[in-house]
Parts: sequence; C-alpha cells; structure tokens
Amino acid sequence: MLQLIFTTDFFFSILRITAPILFATLGAVVGEKAGVSNIGLEGTMMVAALFGSLTTYWSGSWAVGLIVALFCGVLVSLLMGFFAFNLKTDIILTGIAVNMIGSGGTLFLVKVITQQTEGKALASTTSLITAAHQIPSWNIPLIKDIPVLGPILSGHCILTYVAFLLVFLTWVLLYRTPLGLNIRSVGENPNAASSVGVSVLKIKYIAIGFSGLMAGFGGAFMSMYYSMGWSLDMVAGRGFIALAAQAMGAGEPVGSMLSALVFGFAQAFSIKVSSRGIDSNLVTPIPYLVTILGLVVFALVIRHRVKKQHSASALEKAAK
Amino acid sequence: MKKFAALLLALVMALSLAACGNQNTPAASGSASGSGSAGGEDTKVYNVVYLVNGNLGDKSFFDSAKAGLDQLEADGRITLRTIEMGGLDEDKPGWLSTLYEVSDSQEYDIIICGTYQMPDFLKEVADKHPDQKYVIFDDNSYAGESANVMNITYKQNDMGYLMGIFAATLTTDTSIERINEDAVIGFVGGIDSPVINDFLIGYIEGALSVNPDIKVDVRYTNTYVDTAIAKEYGLSMINDNHCDLIWGVAGNSGNGAAEAAFETGKAYFLGVDSDQELTLSSDLAAITLTSGLKNIGNSLIWFFDEMDAGRTYFGQEVSLGLAEGGVGIVTDKNFATYASDDCKAAITAAEDAIKAGTLIVDTAIDDNTNKVVELCDAVRP
Repeated sequence: MLQLIFTTDFFFSILRITAPILFATLGAVVGEKAGVSNIGLEGTMMVAALFGSLTTYWSGSWAVGLIVALFCGVLVSLLMGFFAFNLKTDIILTGIAVNMIGSGGTLFLVKVITQQTEGKALASTTSLITAAHQIPSWNIPLIKDIPVLGPILSGHCILTYVAFLLVFLTWVLLYRTPLGLNIRSVGENPNAASSVGVSVLKIKYIAIGFSGLMAGFGGAFMSMYYSMGWSLDMVAGRGFIALAAQAMGAGEPVGSMLSALVFGFAQAFSIKVSSRGIDSNLVTPIPYLVTILGLVVFALVIRHRVKKQHSASALEKAAK
Repeated sequence: MKKFAALLLALVMALSLAACGNQNTPAASGSASGSGSAGGEDTKVYNVVYLVNGNLGDKSFFDSAKAGLDQLEADGRITLRTIEMGGLDEDKPGWLSTLYEVSDSQEYDIIICGTYQMPDFLKEVADKHPDQKYVIFDDNSYAGESANVMNITYKQNDMGYLMGIFAATLTTDTSIERINEDAVIGFVGGIDSPVINDFLIGYIEGALSVNPDIKVDVRYTNTYVDTAIAKEYGLSMINDNHCDLIWGVAGNSGNGAAEAAFETGKAYFLGVDSDQELTLSSDLAAITLTSGLKNIGNSLIWFFDEMDAGRTYFGQEVSLGLAEGGVGIVTDKNFATYASDDCKAAITAAEDAIKAGTLIVDTAIDDNTNKVVELCDAVRP
C-alpha cells in the first residue's frame, strides 16, 4: 500500500498542487506583513487566469499572456487598495467584492468578449486553447538524470520553479531590504512608521500590489499550465487555502511555504488513496481537515508560547 | 373563433390532465393521458415558438433543438419562430418579458424553451397562462407542478450503457495507439448523486456486458468547476490504474480528465451531453473518441409525433431514452475511425435490444437498493 502511494509521481504532484497555492500564500504573507488582509486573492487569481489565457490565445505567445496576467493581478489589487485605503471601505468587504467579481465578473466578461459560451451551464475558454498556448515545462539538465530525485524535481512548469524561488526572494525582500523593513514597520505600528517619515499609504499600496502580482502568477499557473484555458470558478478555493497557509506559517515566507506544502501533500495523498478504492466522499475532505488541524496546532503552539512568556515575565516581576 | 375553440380545447385538456400523476415514462402514460385535443385532426400544423436563452451556434443543446424544429418545419408539421434572447446576465430580465410577451399574444400553440436556467421564469409565466402549453427540455425543477408544462428529460443510463460497451471493447484493443492490455476503464463523476450515478450504472453494466472481467476506476471530483483537481484524478487513474479510456461526467471539471489524457499521451477521453469533439480545442478533440448525447432535437420530434398521435404529457415529466431517440452516442469522426466492426455491431445490437424492450438498463434514480455501490465494488480495479 505505502509503496503504491509514495511513488515519484506522488511527490511530483505535491509540488504541482502546491505551486498555485504557494503563489497566493506569498501574496498573503507580504500583504499581512503590511497589515493588509487581502482576502480578494481568490478573485484576483480568477481575473488574471482569464486575461492571461485569452491574451495568449490572441497573441500566440505565453510570455505576453503571463505579463498580462501579472498586470491584471496588480491592477485588480491596486483597485482594491484604492477602495480600501483612499475611499476607506472595509478591506474585508472589498475583498469579498473582488471575489465576486472573480466569479461573476469573469463569466460576464468572457461572454462579452468571446461570445462562445452561450447557454452553457459552466462557461470556459477550453474550445480556444491548445497545448501551444500553455506555459512550457522544463526538464532540468543533469538533475533530470538523478534517480528518484530527478523525476520529482525535473519536468515541472517553469512557474513551479518560480514559485519556490519567490519564497526566497520574498524573504530577502522582507528581511534584507529597506522596503521590507518599511513594510514590516507599517504592519506592526503604522503610527510609529509615519512618525519617522514613512508613507504608510505608499507602503500599503506596494504590499497589496505585490500580493496582486503573486495572485497574477497563481492565476496564470491555473489557466496556462494546470488547465487548458480559463473556466468558471476554476481557482476553486485555492486563494482561501492560501490565507490559511499564511496563518499556519505564522506569516513567515518559509513557514507559509511549508504549510502550503502540507496542504499539497494532503491533496496529493487524498487522490492517491482514492486510486486504491477508498470512497471519494471520505478522501475529498482530507486537505481541508489537515488545514483545520494545522490551524489548531498552530493556535495551541502560540497559546503555549504566550503563556510561557507571561509566566516568565511574572517570575521576573516577582524576583524584583 | 378558431382561437376560442383552441382555447376551450386546451382548457379541457388542462383540466383532464390535472388528474394525471407527476412522473411517467412514455410507455406507461400512453393510456393515462390520451385525451389530447389535436388527435382528431392529424393535419394540424402547430404554431411553435422556440425561445433560446442564449444564442444559436453553441454546437450543443440550443443547436440540437433548433435542428429538430427546423426539420419539423421543413416537413410542414409546424410553423416555427425562433427568438434568440441572449445569454448574458443583462439579458435575463428579457427572458421573462419575452416569455410574457409570447404567452400574452396567444399566437402560439406550443412555447418551447430549455435548460436549467429557465424553470423559475417559466413557472411564473406558466401559472399565469393556464391555457398556454409549454415544453421545457433538460430540466425537471418543477416537474408536475404546472398542468400546462411538460418537462422532457433524458435517460442517462441508456446513454451510459452504450458508452460502456464502446469503452470496454476498445480498452483491450492494443492495436490502437495509447491503448494498453489492461481491461481498465475510467469514470470521472461530478458528485456522488443519483443523476451522475445514473450515467455510471449504465456505463458499468454496458462494460460488463462486453467483458465480465472489466475493471472500472470510478472517481468523483466533488466539484463541477475545479478542472485542475479532475486532471489530478485523471493522471492518477492513468498512471496508477492504467485506465486508457476515461468518461468525464463532471461539467467543466470533466475536461480536466481530457487534459490528463492528452498530457500523458496514454489515454483517450469520452465526452458527455453534446458532441464534445466540436466544443473542445483541437488538441483535446483529437483524443475525444465519442460523446454520450442528449438528442434535444429528436426529443422534440418525438414530442410532436406523440401530439399527432393524440398523446400529450403536459403536467408531467417525460424521460426519453434510446427508444424515443432521446439519447445516443456520437458515431462519426473519431468514433468511425477507432471503433472496430465488432464494437459497432455490439453497440447496434444493444441499441436494438433496448429499443425493443428486451434489455432494460438499471437506473440509479429513485433507487434505494444501493445497486450502484455494489456494482462499483465489484468492478473496482
């Protein structure tokens, strides 16, 4: 049983499943660091997925499609920022609105733009997109010949590698650059940051723009590699899972990556288990169950740590 | 005067039908509802309006219905007016007003519309126009609630049976590229529900009729929208269990299975509802060998045949199977290329047997015997 489950393509699929979630998770991490709760990641990904896929179809180049997807991700997020920061709407409500746009709005747009989906219960652009429009995979020279590790690490979509590379880059951004310092200080104490001359508004825009960029990557991954073309509601909750992964990873890039991987593992595991004839109604909830368990564990750890701190400071006080 | 007479007759019909049961198979209901008004004059030309809640050119249900109605018109049996109401959200209010308009005008004997989007609008209008007759295809939301509305649905199990025969014959035909020697076929369903299982039960029974040792890998995606997860399931079916034909019955999700088959190059895809070779992109269409069809057009021709024969089913849900031409499978393009003569013969034989009533495919709808689960367990790879 274990031999059948833990195959190389099982580990390969973990990375594939994790990648789109990881993108969104990094978006959530940077947003949250600046004190911006971007729950609109899901909808932003859907908009990016649609325009990335359509642009690739029109231009014939996946690179152009990817750039447009990233652009759309940033644009939607900045728009969200405009409503939340300048017009002072509640950012959670704005995020919900963006998610609704991601579902209903993309459906509307695709009907207006392509006029291809009349009367279908579930719209999609599958009729347009061929393999030539997809982002290519990369067989890494040398690594691909290593037994076991080769088939797991090599042959992924270029974006999958970008996702894991971005974990490192995000960490550098947050902890090794002045901008990162500003982002963190705005998140921790906006008043203190503004008192030393940091433009809180500007930093918040940069943070939400970055999370939009990540959502753009995630959307492009969904429609330009994972599936052939956009289809209605195709992101299917990955944006929300990313928020959970961000919380589970304590808002740190590496920790959040690990929790995204846990989710990817759970998802891949549930699919593998179903191949052995376990009822699908039992395996489908596994990833969500793991997420909830992870959050519980995380909350317990935090509580324990806080308690310890409390008792430590109490001891100190008593000693004085 | 003619209108008044028609109105009166319609009223009588409506009243007599009010006593009829909700759901009926056509064979059983023939005697129960033979009080049709049009029966006497078999030369009656019906004035029909077809409301398209979208636009023609969808290569799917709307076009199929239109083709059937066009044929009826060409045969001089109906006069047809087709109104394309548009499929955008902003068009939706127009659907209701168009329904009111054509109903208020009292010009039409029959108003035809279809799909899951229409029942709410239709219910409202139909209840206010008790003398107007309506037909709605591929929906049974309010079946039997309005005495002047007939719901046409389609027997998925008949369709599944033919698909099962096709898949089971091909899966051991190793002369075809991509086909391996294992007798394993796949099924990706949307949600573990009676309607999806109705497709499945036919599929398994059809496959078993060809090869009693066939294995069927059944997975439910539990979503109709997540293409990616269906692709993961498809990849697992192909890599872990050596499925070489996968039938996707999961809305958009199902296309993910086609992508898995395409990407691995080790399997073929089977479509559902309409001819998916026409609606998928060229890459995916090339590996889509056939599709299970709901023949909307045929079902409407059947409806007018019954009208002419004096049988009406207003106020009921009628489920059409192979016998009425309501379902079928695509037999041109890829099917013609890949299906062997034996396969074609087996499918024709099954079709004939089902039509003749000597072969009855089990159904998962209103079934409390857990038959689907038992079947799945028996054929699990």
